Amino acid sequence: MNRRSVLQTMLAGTAAVAFRFGPAQAEGADDYARPAKPAKPYTIGVLLPQLSNPHFVGQAYGYIDEAEKLGVKVIMFDAGGYQYLDRQISQIEDLIASKVDAIIIVAVNGPGTADAVDRAVAAGIPVVNCNVMTGSDKVVTRVRSDDEIIGQMQADFMGQALKNEGKVVMLRGAPGTSWAENRGNSFKKRLIEKFPKVTVVGEQYSQSTPADGLKLMEDFLQTFPQIDGAYNGADTTAIGAAQAVLAAGRAGKVTITATDFQVDTEKFIRDGVMSATVAQQTVIIGRWGVRAAVNCLEKRDVPKALWTPLLLVSAANVNNLDLGTLRAPTGWKPPIG
Amino acid sequence: MSNAPAGDIATQPAAATHSHRFVVMLRRLPWGRIGMPLVLIAMAVFFGTINPNFWSVTNLTNVSRQISVLALISIGQTFAILSAGIDLSVGSLLALVSVACAQGMLEFGLVGGIVVGVLAGCLAGLVNGILIAKARIPAFIATLGMLVAARGLALTLSGGLPIAGLPHEFLFIGAGYLGPFPVPSVIAAVAFVVAYVLLSRTRFGRYVYAMGSNEEAAVLSGINVVKYKIMVYVVSGLFAGIAGVVLTSRVISGQPTLGEVQELYSIAAVVIGGGKITGGVGGIGRTLMGVLVLGMLSNGLNLIQVSSYVQNIVVGAIIIIAVYIDLARERRR
Repeated sequence: MNRRSVLQTMLAGTAAVAFRFGPAQAEGADDYARPAKPAKPYTIGVLLPQLSNPHFVGQAYGYIDEAEKLGVKVIMFDAGGYQYLDRQISQIEDLIASKVDAIIIVAVNGPGTADAVDRAVAAGIPVVNCNVMTGSDKVVTRVRSDDEIIGQMQADFMGQALKNEGKVVMLRGAPGTSWAENRGNSFKKRLIEKFPKVTVVGEQYSQSTPADGLKLMEDFLQTFPQIDGAYNGADTTAIGAAQAVLAAGRAGKVTITATDFQVDTEKFIRDGVMSATVAQQTVIIGRWGVRAAVNCLEKRDVPKALWTPLLLVSAANVNNLDLGTLRAPTGWKPPIG
Repeated sequence: MSNAPAGDIATQPAAATHSHRFVVMLRRLPWGRIGMPLVLIAMAVFFGTINPNFWSVTNLTNVSRQISVLALISIGQTFAILSAGIDLSVGSLLALVSVACAQGMLEFGLVGGIVVGVLAGCLAGLVNGILIAKARIPAFIATLGMLVAARGLALTLSGGLPIAGLPHEFLFIGAGYLGPFPVPSVIAAVAFVVAYVLLSRTRFGRYVYAMGSNEEAAVLSGINVVKYKIMVYVVSGLFAGIAGVVLTSRVISGQPTLGEVQELYSIAAVVIGGGKITGGVGGIGRTLMGVLVLGMLSNGLNLIQVSSYVQNIVVGAIIIIAVYIDLARERRR
């Protein structure tokens, strides 16, 4: 079987609910078509939470490469971490002052960014919301993976791996973000529905870095004598959790699940320390964000929600992946910090 | 020069004496007073040339809004540093005040929340002051402990999660306008004036300088150093409280993760402006210069699309250069 058909088979298994485009259902990775090159070279401001997370490097490649192909310009800002809400708000204000044509925002915080986004829209700048949701309801569209599905996929894998009995801990991720909230809640709900004997003994939020995941997992391992599984909202904490489990000599005995697919996650899955991850198509999130912004600027209709495809990766399929939509090309670096 | 034999002067080319006089005149300029404003003008010209948007009304009002929070905590920091102390906790106090203000607002309404927030700042400042003045714990250590504890308290009270659902009228403080001026800038401006009067025209202000220059002498002259030191840190906490309320309004939610690293920028503002870290030298006007430099730097570098990582390198370099220039001038006197 070639790579593409394996990919499609995996996607088919999850595509029924994982991918939606308006009312119709569709398969395949890249179904929101690239529009025609616009006559005017628009300038689009892109706001990211944390470029030190490889997930956002993948998105950055998507924004920049798509912008090149469409002949538009991208100005990129990094907030530096989910706790720097004030900095992202200042960046929004600076973009308004720079009179960009459109803004794409990956919010560091839902309620905190709502007012600043409203002000951008009021200044005549359309805002596309990608990946992490802002509380503002004036955005043109929301481009993201379905967090509900992500939580369910992790729960399903966890429940099956634990044979419907065991204790799990949750490293939920950055407080105040839509992904940490929604994925975690969905995970818990699915466990109660389908795997009632798998119980959550501990859950904590933390910043989304390996160091925070390491410390949190170490504390969990100290607090709870029996841990069979660890859920992670993002793979940044999962990498730290994997290190903690390795150091405690319990590699392979704790089922670690995560979201996203950076290089270290791939390595840990191959080594058997991490069990599975729900890979987001980060490059596609970036591409669709730019396409939606250009379509909006060209006065075309843009769907209110664009759901990007998901892919469950485990030891079973880690060798048969098409990385083109999951990551930036090896060695690619984003142009700014 | 007047002692040199007339022959020497006559044989020197005219240009040399002109440039020599020019250098002497340059040296005599009051650099202490005009140095910082000149730097600011130079920066403004530099950034404005590369990106004319720098001069736009939108951008200038943005900058003034964005530096308001730093300005407020730098005012408090000025008092602490002038008294030969320091307040490392102001960043964490922003978070504590934010959480207190938000929770207070949900329970007691708009005004009640603001009062609770500012009071929380004052209370923390009081604790700092008592630890430093009465228990005689060095300011660095006491406020370091408060930095860690206040952050922990903010996270505990909020469960680590943001507190949303604040009344939309509250946005007026962070995003509203009084005429052409953003409300946070007006608040900061008023605070500067009040602080200037406090520091330069009241007994309290004189005692702050006295304690900072020579605490032993201050004690021996009968100044109640304990009482005034406590007041210094309550003032710092008060301005942190006001800053925290403004910041909470800007993000229209209580956020326990706010203010990280901000205490260091407030110290940088005081020092770049020319205040001495050992105390006794400095002032509100100087701190204002420091705040403007930091604010203009960050905004300008953003507008010319310099990465935020490089911005950090620039700010660090400026802190060191500013202090070096100050020390160099002092050694020459």
